[in-house]
This record gives sequence, C-alpha cells and structure tokens, in this order.
Amino acid sequence: MSDEKPYRKLETQALLQQIAFRHGMEAMAASEEGNLAWVSSGFPVEIPVAMNVFPTYPEQSGAIIGATKIGPEVCGFAEDLGYSQELCSYARASIGSTDRPDDVAMGALPKPQAFLGCNNICGTILKWYDANSEQTGAPVFLLDTPPLEAEQKPHHRAYVKQGLERLIEFLGKTFNTTLEEDKFREVADLSSRAIKLWTQSLKACQNKPSPLNCADRFLTMAPVVSSRGMEHCTEFYEVLLAEVEDRVKQSIGAIREEKIRLLWDNIPPWFILRFFNQLAARGVVFPADTYTHAWSGAVEGTDTDSLLDGVVDIYSNVYLNKNLDAKVDKMCQLIKDFDLDGFVMFSVRSCKRYSLGQLVSKEIVTEKTGVPGVVIEGDMVDSRLFNEAQIQTRVDALLEMFV
Amino acid sequence: MSFPEVIEQSNQVLQALVDAGERVIGYVYPHPPHEILIAHGLKPSLVRTNPSVVGAYEASLQTFSCSLTRNLFSQRVSSSFPLLAGIVFSGNTCDALQNVGDIWRKRFPEDRVLRLTYPVGDFGEASVDFLSMEIEALSNELTGLYGVAFSESNFRTAALLLHEIRDVLQLFYTVRLLYPSLISYNTLSNLVGEFLTAPTQEASERMKGKWEEVVEKLDTNQKNTVEQLRESLLNQDLSDFEAEIDSANHRIAVIGGMVEPSTLAGLMENIPGITHTTLVLDMLSFGFKTVFTPPVSIEGDPFRESARSILGAHSEPTQEGLPKRTAFLKDVLTKLSIHGLIVCEQSFCDPDEFEAPSLEKAAEEVGVATVKLPLDSELSDRARIEGRIQTFLETINAS
Amino acid sequence: MTEKPFGIGLDVGSTTTKGVIIDSDGSILATHLQSTGASAASAVAHVLGNLLSTSEKTRDECRIIGTGYGRNIVDMAHKTVTEITCHSVGVNTLNPDIRLLIDVGGQDSKVIRIGSNGRPEDFELNDKCSAGTGRFLEVMARVLEVSMDELGPLGLKSNSPCSISSTCTVFAESEVIGRIGSGDSPADIAAGVHQSMASKIGSLSKRVGVATPIGVTGGVALNPAFRHYLSDILKAELWVPKIPQLTGALGAAIIALQDAEV
Repeated sequence: MSDEKPYRKLETQALLQQIAFRHGMEAMAASEEGNLAWVSSGFPVEIPVAMNVFPTYPEQSGAIIGATKIGPEVCGFAEDLGYSQELCSYARASIGSTDRPDDVAMGALPKPQAFLGCNNICGTILKWYDANSEQTGAPVFLLDTPPLEAEQKPHHRAYVKQGLERLIEFLGKTFNTTLEEDKFREVADLSSRAIKLWTQSLKACQNKPSPLNCADRFLTMAPVVSSRGMEHCTEFYEVLLAEVEDRVKQSIGAIREEKIRLLWDNIPPWFILRFFNQLAARGVVFPADTYTHAWSGAVEGTDTDSLLDGVVDIYSNVYLNKNLDAKVDKMCQLIKDFDLDGFVMFSVRSCKRYSLGQLVSKEIVTEKTGVPGVVIEGDMVDSRLFNEAQIQTRVDALLEMFV
Repeated sequence: MSFPEVIEQSNQVLQALVDAGERVIGYVYPHPPHEILIAHGLKPSLVRTNPSVVGAYEASLQTFSCSLTRNLFSQRVSSSFPLLAGIVFSGNTCDALQNVGDIWRKRFPEDRVLRLTYPVGDFGEASVDFLSMEIEALSNELTGLYGVAFSESNFRTAALLLHEIRDVLQLFYTVRLLYPSLISYNTLSNLVGEFLTAPTQEASERMKGKWEEVVEKLDTNQKNTVEQLRESLLNQDLSDFEAEIDSANHRIAVIGGMVEPSTLAGLMENIPGITHTTLVLDMLSFGFKTVFTPPVSIEGDPFRESARSILGAHSEPTQEGLPKRTAFLKDVLTKLSIHGLIVCEQSFCDPDEFEAPSLEKAAEEVGVATVKLPLDSELSDRARIEGRIQTFLETINAS
Repeated sequence: MTEKPFGIGLDVGSTTTKGVIIDSDGSILATHLQSTGASAASAVAHVLGNLLSTSEKTRDECRIIGTGYGRNIVDMAHKTVTEITCHSVGVNTLNPDIRLLIDVGGQDSKVIRIGSNGRPEDFELNDKCSAGTGRFLEVMARVLEVSMDELGPLGLKSNSPCSISSTCTVFAESEVIGRIGSGDSPADIAAGVHQSMASKIGSLSKRVGVATPIGVTGGVALNPAFRHYLSDILKAELWVPKIPQLTGALGAAIIALQDAEV
C-alpha cells in the first residue's frame, strides 16, 4: 500500500511519538512537583536540565496546535483577550491555550513555575512570556543575547556570560537547586552528542536521493529542541542516524522519484505539511532548510567556566541572531553543499525576525548561486493567513523554470 | 500645528542647519546618545514618518513590517532624506528595526547607516557596561566616517544643553498635569517636537522664554508642587507625591509607542468633546519618555555616563520591566486623577501590540476607562480613529 | 417646552443615509432612508428635506444631530455624536433590556455594551480591514453571482457550511473562488461565508464581554443567515428592531432633544 505514496515514512517516527508522549508525561509530573519551566527554542537548556529543572516548549506546543488545525480557534482565544491578530501566532496560541487549556484538545502545556526566554531567536519572546507571566504569575527570566553585527565582541561575551550567571542564580532561588559541575558536564556532553548525531543526519541529505525531506526533519527535530541533554534524546538520534545511513547505503530516497532539489527557508506551515508531500508527488524534495540548520554547534568544555563560555558562544551565534549577510551566506552554502536547484522562501507573517529581509536576500541568493527562488506568504499556525491557491500558482511558476 | 506643518517646520530647521554647514544625523529609536553625537559635531534629529508619503516599500519589505519602518522606507525610496548625513538604527529593540536596518544597508549602500545595539535586560551595571561599549564603538565609527573626533568640551556643552532642554520640558509636562490651563498640549507638543528636530541652543532659549511666561502664573506653593512632581516622574516613583488635583473636567492620558505628541495633538484638535484641558499627559516613547531621561553626568567616562542616562529613562515595551511599567501606570492614573486612558497601537508593531492588553488591564484594575487606538504612520484610518476617540469621550461623560 | 420642540437625527453611513424626526414625546413623525451614493452632502440634504416635508415641520423648529461615518459633513447639525452612542440610545429606547448591541454596517461593525442608563459602557470596532462588515458579504455575493437579498436565504439552505478560514476579504474571495472551482454547492459556500463573518463578530463581542439580552442593528441585521450563525456562536437569542438600519438616526434624534433640555 505504502508503495503507492510518493514519499516514504520513517520507521523512526514511531519512536518519536513515544518520546513526545513521555516528554508530555514528565512535564506534567514536573509541573506538579514545582520543577517545570517553559523555555524558548534557542535557550541554553543544558543549564536548567543540569539543575533538575524540566523544560517544555511553547513553540512546539504552537506547532502541535497548528498541525491539529485548531490554530485559528486557539489564536482567537488570545484575540478575545485583546491581543492583535497581527501578532506572532505561536505567541497567540500560547496565550490562548494558557487562558483556556480545557478548550485545547492537544498542545496546551502544564502550568510552569518559570519562563526562560532567550532573545537569540526573536525580540518577541520577551513580550510573549511577559504576557504568559501575567496569566500564570510565574516569573520570567530573559537571557539577553543582542543580535550580532559581525564577530562576537568581548563585551558582548561578557554581557551574555553575566546573564548566564544570573540565570544560575535565578534557577537556584526559584527552584531551590544548584549547578553541580559534574552534572553540567554530563548534560552538556549528552546534548552535544545528540546535536552531533542530528547534524550527521542533516548532512546525509547531501546524498542523492536525499534520505530525508523537509517534513521528516521538522518532525524529527522535536527531541533535539525539547530534550537535548537527556539520555533518551541521544538514543533517539542514534536510531534516526542508523535509519538515515541505511537509506543512503541502499540509495533509498525520502521521496520515490527525486527530480528537483530545493531549499526551504523559514518555519513550516504546520497545518498543511501535506504541502511537501504534494510536491513530492511531482518529484520535488527539500534536502535542506534553514530552520533545522538554525543551530548546530555543540557546547564543549572541561569545567563550569569553560562550559559557560561555550554556551555564550554557541547561543549567541544562532542563525536568527545574525545579520542579513550571514543569513545569505548560510543559504548560499546550503545550496552549494546540498547541490540544490532552487529555493522556496516562506514569508511568515508571524515572524518578523525570520521573514523581513527575504525580499532582498532572495535577489542576492539568486545572484550569488544562479539558482531561482520564490517567496510565498502565509503563516505557520494561523491558517486564516494562508492562501493555498495563491501559493500554488507561485510554486508552480518556480517549478516550470526547471523544465 | 498640524503634523504636515510640523514636518515642514522641521525640514526648514534642518535646511537652515545644513546651510550653516552643520551635519545632521538622523535617529529612529527615541533614545539616541544625543550628547555623544553632538560631541562629534553632529546634530541629532528624529527621522520622522511622513503621513503623505506614497507607499514605495513593496520591493523590499513585506506588508507586515511595522508601519513606521514601511513609511520611512517609502520616504527613502522616493529619496526624501536629502538633509541627513547618516542614520542611526537601533539594534535589539524590536525585530522590525533590527532587520530593516540590514535591508536599508543593502538597498541604499550609499547611505551611512549606523547601528547602536541596546541591552534589553534590566541588569543594572551589566547593562550599562554593555551599552557604554556599544556607544564607544559608535563613537569610533563616527570619527572614521566624518573625520571629526570626539570632543570632550563639545560633550560637556551638549550635556549641559540637553540637561536644560529636558529640564524645562519636564516642567511643562508637570504643569500640564497639575494646571493644564497654563500650557496647552499643542504648545507642549510643539516644544517637544523642536527638541526632536534638533536640540539646539536656540530651541532651548525659546523653551526657557516660554517657561518665564508660565512660571509667572504660579505661586510659591504651586512651584513647589511642580518641582516635587517633576522629581517623582523622573524617578519613576509617585509613592511620596500627594497633591490636590482639580479634576472637575475630564482628564485623559495617552500611552503608546512610536507616535509623536504633535501627531496626537493634531488628531485631537477637531474632535468634539475635547477641550484645551482634556489631554493632560502623554506617556509616549517620543514624548514623555525622551523627555524624562536623567541628565548625563559630566564627571566620569562620557560613554558610561551616556549609557547610564539612556538606561535611566522610563523603559520601553521593547525592554524588560512590564510589571514595573504597569505599576507606574496605575500610580499615574490614580494619583494624578486621570479619568480615561487612550492606548495607541501602531500597526504591526509587536512591542505596542503586545503591551496594549496589559496596559488596558492595569487601567481597568484601578477603574480607569480605556480605548485602543490602532494607528499607522499615514493615519490612513483617520475618520475611524476620530470616531473612536469621540465615542470614548462620550462614554466617559455618560458614566 | 424647549425652543426647538423637534429632534432630527441624520445618520450618514458609507452605504445608506438615514434620517428620523421625533417630537418631544419621542414619537416618530417621519423616517427616511436612501443610498448615500457619491455625494454624501446631497444625500443628507435630500433626507433632511424629505423628513421636513413629510412631517410638515421647518428646520428652525428642529434640533439636528449628525452621526455616522460622515457625521462631519452634516453642516446643518447643531452637534455631532458618534454612531456608537446614538445606536445605544436608539436601542435603549426601543428595548431598554438590551445590554449588548451588535451593529454591522457597510464598512463598520461595532459591539457596544450598554449601561443601565442607556449609554455605552464599553465598545469595540472592527479594524481598518473590511472583514466582518457588510462589504465582506457584498464581495462574496458578487463572487457567488447572487444579490445581497438572496445571499442570506441561500446560506440558510445548507446543513454543512464550507469552512472559509480566511478573514481577510481579499483572501476569502479567492478561497471562495477555489471552493466554487472544486465543486462545493453555492448554498454550502454561502453558509460558510456567513459563519466566517459571524465568527469575526463573535470574537469582537468577546473582547467587550458578552452580556444578554443581545440586540443586532445595521443593514446586515436583516440577513437571516448571519443572525442564525451569530446566535449560534454567541449561544443567545438575538433581538432585532423592525427597521434595524434606523436605530442610529433614532438615537441621534433622541439625543437632540435630551441635549436641548439641558
């Protein structure tokens, strides 16, 4: 039966569901024990994990709310409270599901004791957690990592490092815990192993046919976001990498007939991941995307101090915390390394940090690489802002260029 | 003065400065290091939105870029900033300004686009350390770009000038709150507008002249109350402030982000129900917050002192400190007998739009009515905005 | 007795201009309603002329209040009051129990919580976008090739409304075109259009706080499918005055006399 589908499902996906379920249960228990923190995706989670604070991710909850197609409804709960429809739909979904958890079938998170945000992914995170904090009474900790113009300067490092010291103090006070060097080293080690395994899977997509498509990576990235630094996370990426390597060895592609290889830029539209499968039917695969390649550095060090220095370096230098030149360079590099024929930029209305600049970078990337691209506009959670017919026409026009 | 008139007047002032051989540097975020810029022989001037600009941003910005950045970009595409020798964009204040600064550099490589990155965190000395290093880097860049090194004596003069200007504007704000019949909001907003156009000695003299007129009408007790309230507002602490406020007439305050007092003054002018004592306070980024910024000390390192002054201002929605801001707002509303609060929400401005519900909730908790005002730089929805304000006043009057 | 014993309310909307004249007892002497057209000023003059001639009164005997989107062009008005206050007062006169009023006009929709004194306590308006206004329905009627009068009854014929997820009128238009293309029935599409519209208004209502009983005014109140879905979303019965478009003008006329007595 499955042979008729244009794409191949990963065996590892079954394991993914188990991990998600387990994470959900553990989060619930942590909330009851008073050990739960909501954390942004670019937060140095190794520190809270090493201090026995359990992290859970509102962005992932937004993705689930989007994927289960209740985005407009849950975002609407936040709009009922006065939050503008123009705001980030992850934030609206989070504020909405916090206000009315019982009306959200899947995706509402258990009540946290703190919010840990790092603005290396956007400036919005602070405003979003401030709103959540007003709703729940739990405090917000912001790790401020100002965007980098070029190389990270010494005063920038010093500032971020002071932020980490404050974080340790904040967690110590809020959760009555301390950071032990051994534990920190152990967690950082597990985390960097998971990241390295994940990076290897990503890199394997340079092969033709590509063993993974966009949607595969968007789903399998969940543990590295939510559980890096935990044992089971590292195990998951061992299993995934084994499957990926097996596919490569046997020349099995993520899609049946790979004809066109494209780059995807930005967060995916969670409510319509079939978008990628429909394209798969036309021989289009996405071996790389900027979203899952957003951060790949692993934290390394021998003692607490050097580990913290590693954290400062890795978490300041994530994709979204750099300037337009760095983003363009990264896209060009991916196009070259993965031998891509073109690119699709998803202009996400929710995310100014990711999307503003795409109209310009589209021109520059094409100029530098010689491959064509297209910008389509919509949203990752709020399907009210997504016009399928309009997007179809644009993507078709791009594909016609390859005939 | 209507807003187009404000722009025209501002352009005249800038033209005169340029004709006199001065270099004008534009800034976008309301907290530039004025004194440092002046110390490099530059005249800092707010880059204003222009309501009559025709949209010309589409090739570079999406529609969901905030209305401020869209407007500025459109102006630049139609090449209408001929008087500026450079523009300082802010970094780490909001995602739109962060990215649009980059886009600007790509689209207009001939422009001198500088960036000053601010700390978001309210981390005391650590934040001061960071910002002072950023300001110093900016200063070095200015030296390279314009060939004019930082001048200690210019810096001292600038610190004094800015201190005087802010001081007198603070007094106007305070008098407006306590004795609104003594200075109109129009006059106040025009004077703030002059400060934003260019903090010059001449502007300062005009402000002081106006103050002479106002102070004559105050008795000793009133003068003391004014000074006490000014201090309290500057220190962001109204707990010790006690005074009888004449609240027989309705008193409205406005709060919000990237809109200028003169825009509001122009908007309010023709609305039935607004009298000259109705709008007693704005808590806007480009008005109140720029004015209520502590002076730069001339003792110590100029960059550090400049950073300390900037970070001592009332915080922006782009910074940490929402609970502090809502607590202060509640104090303002109750202690200064405000009956209604207008919350401005700039179109596609994340900080404004995220903060608005919290501000409304805070006001509600102290029994003050609120209305949200969705604005864009072109005031393209003017009729409906006026309708909202008029209805709001009718609502308050009926209660 | 005041100097001016009669009150006139002129409500200049984007689509229609409405007028009401009342006497000091609040009895309606005449009403008039006509399309605003290209010149709001001439529509106003025409409506006023009609009211005066039907009621056989002179302008000097009347105190006039202008309201609505074009209230500022009513230059013979003694005063302008926004349509929000006028609708409140108008509805309060017709049905003093109403606590939440939903008024959906051509380019505006508003939700007003009415206090026990008949005046607005809190309100919300749609934003600049035309989603959730009469204009949205007009555009959809055009795409479905039916008249505005037919759109509502068509929508009521369906038991399984299509989901029209876009709230933006332009997006929704192409979504509807897509639905037509994929063979959905016009009735299901029309039902979906009304459901989407009602959900937008429902959301606006929740911002103000839903209080019952609820009244609906404005031209769109005449549309049965809109009322059906709105009632469904708000989980409440809806009260509609006989001529829902005239409520604002009536309120203005009443305010004209109340003010004169002060």
